[in-house]
Amino acid sequence: MNPKDIFLLAFEALVDRKVRTVLTILMVVLGSSLVVILNGLSAGQAAFLEQQFNTLAANVLFVGSGQRSFSSFATSTSNSLIINNVVLAKIKSLPNVSDAIPEYTGSVQMNVEGNTQRASITSIDPSKLVVELPNLQYVDGSTIKPGDRSSAIVGDTIVNPPGASTPFLTLGETIKATATYSDSSGSHTVVKNFVITGILKPSGNAGIDRSVIINLDAGNELLHKLNRYDQIIVAATTPDDVDTVQGELTSTFGKTLGATTPKALMAVRVQAASGNNAFILMVGIIALVVGAVGIVTTLYNSVTERIREIGTMKAIGAQNTEILALFIVEAALIGIIGASLGTIIGIVGGYILSIFTTTSPAGGGPPIHIPPIFVPMDLIKVWLLSLFLSVLAGMYPAWKASKLSPMVALRRE
Amino acid sequence: MKKNTQNLTVEKNMEDESNDNSIALRVENLTKIYNTSAGRVVALDNASFSIKKGEFVSIVGPSGSGKSTILNLVGALDRPSSGKIFIDEVDIFSLTDSEIATMRNRSIGFIFQSFNLINRTTVHKNVKLPGIIAGMSNDVADYRAMKILEALDIAGKAKQKPVNLSGGQQQRVAIARSLINNPTILLADEPTGNLDTKTGDDVFAMMKNLSHKFKRTIVMVTHNPELAESTDRSIYLRDGRIEKDVVN
Repeated sequence: MNPKDIFLLAFEALVDRKVRTVLTILMVVLGSSLVVILNGLSAGQAAFLEQQFNTLAANVLFVGSGQRSFSSFATSTSNSLIINNVVLAKIKSLPNVSDAIPEYTGSVQMNVEGNTQRASITSIDPSKLVVELPNLQYVDGSTIKPGDRSSAIVGDTIVNPPGASTPFLTLGETIKATATYSDSSGSHTVVKNFVITGILKPSGNAGIDRSVIINLDAGNELLHKLNRYDQIIVAATTPDDVDTVQGELTSTFGKTLGATTPKALMAVRVQAASGNNAFILMVGIIALVVGAVGIVTTLYNSVTERIREIGTMKAIGAQNTEILALFIVEAALIGIIGASLGTIIGIVGGYILSIFTTTSPAGGGPPIHIPPIFVPMDLIKVWLLSLFLSVLAGMYPAWKASKLSPMVALRRE
Repeated sequence: MKKNTQNLTVEKNMEDESNDNSIALRVENLTKIYNTSAGRVVALDNASFSIKKGEFVSIVGPSGSGKSTILNLVGALDRPSSGKIFIDEVDIFSLTDSEIATMRNRSIGFIFQSFNLINRTTVHKNVKLPGIIAGMSNDVADYRAMKILEALDIAGKAKQKPVNLSGGQQQRVAIARSLINNPTILLADEPTGNLDTKTGDDVFAMMKNLSHKFKRTIVMVTHNPELAESTDRSIYLRDGRIEKDVVN
């Protein structure tokens, strides 16, 4: 028999058992689409993380009070130092430090002509923003003048929130920012108006893109920080000095101040992401293996049901290898159809799922949508893996069928 | 022109044994012993006989006499405990499994009591399947299958599935399938056993016609003495031994 005849016979056998074939294909579809979705989402996340850190200058360190946590910018409060102008001056005086830029951070409720939105506040000397983000550019307007307490710059995501058809605000508009804080006397609200003087181009850094940037003094008032900085961005003289500066900070302040670099943050996040990826990939592969077990069951039942047919085929001269090929081609067809549909459904599912998994940032602001990334080579690998597992699953039933004695097979009722 | 040539080839193949008196099948001291949980069972004991090309031979005997065992061994569906079988002077059990499969495909045509057709595919495809296995081109296999179906007066059912046919029609399809590769010998295991008397007689008449008009060599297992007497020769078996060998 030539390959075309074997293919046609195998195809007819699958069509003859439509429901079972469809259910088996469905198992492969589920497995492969799951792997495709998970792969796409993790690739999207990895690219997002990389983009975030690539926007940061290579020579900066982020210094906060207490032991710095790598998983977020949160800090441990035990043994922590209040970061004020004394600490700032001391940091500035350290060798290999070219600049130290204090920052207040928080979140506010924004109101523009009746429309509201939560946003992060980054309160910093606007002229020093380029130290942290060297590639910062403006769509419209320009930076805030030093000492101007009533102007603000906004990131792209604030202006164009995901899913919105019209901009949330435009240059020159006034926003009403409402911040709340608590102290021993209770909860208080601070309201301040800001005129938008600059709109940033999308920077790729989600933290900046969803921020309202205001002057340091304005932030101190709005967020009621009482001259206690949340963070100091320390610029080393050159990127090569970063480790030295980090060592100096540790030896000067011990564990009362924590410092980390974008490179270290990136490494930890990538490590966490890859561990996560390995886990979700494992889940996908388990789903594929379950699909393969389905193929074994289907083809094994098929061999049992078609035992007389196999006997007849052998009686009319079919070789063992041809019977083997028939069943393997059936398994391969299930694999090809299942893997192809699974890949398509996985891609579509990945995009749909990424919409549903859009997250709101902890510090407030518009939700972050991380689109999946489907690398063609990864898709090919998943497709081949699905096909390989399907064929592997078909091996045993096919071998069993090929080894049947024709006389025993013909006698079977 | 090509079709006419193929037509002539089919007719010629079906008649090419008309003037040949050589031996188609030779069985020498054939013994088959089964070791079962109930003990050692001698299904066939030292049986020997030969069948000439074009002969229509019936193997007759009561249940358990060994007639199906002989047919399974001659058809190389099973291996003997001892003894030899020659088809076209080839010792079939000296062949490898793959060569035996090829021999079954090209030299033997099977006709089963329960037809054993593949019900998911058409009558036409069932008939041409041994040709496809033999490596015949699709066009030639199509043409040969249709010619044989026409000769057996069942061409009108070519596109139907066997399951939609009557028992007699299904057996004709099985006979057509057995002829596609122009085999040396046709082995029929109770071919009328699942048919009513009238249909059984029709199928038997068809086989007789194949034997007498086209000189096909046929070995038919039956427990029907009337049918057996209508063949050229009957080999009677009892308890695994040849009791008598009668020319009818």
